[in-house]
Amino acid sequence: MSVIFGLAAAVAVVAALGVVVAQRTLYSALALVANMVALAVLFLTLDAQFLAAVQIIVYAGAVMVLFVFIIALLSPGAQERLHPLEARVLIGGLAAVAFTVVVARLTLNGVSVAASGRFYGRLGPFAPVLVDRHGQVQTLGEQLFTTFLLPFELSSLLLLVAAVGAVYLSRRRRAS
Amino acid sequence: MNHNLFPGFIGLSAALFAIGAVGVLVRRNPIVVFMCIELMLNAGNLALIAFGRFTHTMDGQVFALIVITVAASEVVVGLALITGVFRSGRGLDVDELSEMRE
Repeated sequence: MSVIFGLAAAVAVVAALGVVVAQRTLYSALALVANMVALAVLFLTLDAQFLAAVQIIVYAGAVMVLFVFIIALLSPGAQERLHPLEARVLIGGLAAVAFTVVVARLTLNGVSVAASGRFYGRLGPFAPVLVDRHGQVQTLGEQLFTTFLLPFELSSLLLLVAAVGAVYLSRRRRAS
Repeated sequence: MNHNLFPGFIGLSAALFAIGAVGVLVRRNPIVVFMCIELMLNAGNLALIAFGRFTHTMDGQVFALIVITVAASEVVVGLALITGVFRSGRGLDVDELSEMRE
């Protein structure tokens, strides 16, 4: 398990760096696809099979096709080269490393709390045994349509608003 | 699942979020900026699912699903905005698209 985690984590980080430093926009998009596939593998190691499938279908499928389509349509020819010694790149990189170190340090503190049994000791309502018995999708769907019904309906409303907004923004304006 | 992996997941999530944030701040192409926002949302999803897995609740996965919905609608509106800006004749450079600031 930790071997799969290490491999997928390495691919995810390298692909994320690729998104930021790639000179051509299309290479950024391809690196983002690699990052999302690695994240889907990580979701599988976290027993989230349904979300791994959704990640592949929605992100690596629909969203990235939309990105690639827009890149092909606009074909921004200008290549942007990041100079590693430029002040904003340097400051940004240092801030990113500092943020990661702080969060990792805090999480390690949390593990000592966990060792005392206060965090992991209590089993929630969805222990792996129960999820195995009822199935991943059934359990998730039951939660989605009972406890989280309002956020679910609001998200469908949001999708409708986004579709209307996209049509409004991309309509052809009359030359006035 | 080994509980010792939990800091690994959260640390990885923080690293991906930080890389995405740096990309948003440093890159000038709005399409790449959007991809970096996707990177940050995905990092948040990873943290949500990891917390849900290690506390044995389904809430993290439900929220990750809703975050994916929000991200999809954000991409739709954002890319429509980018095509609108591109068609208006201005170039694709967020440093030059600063009329609203002035």
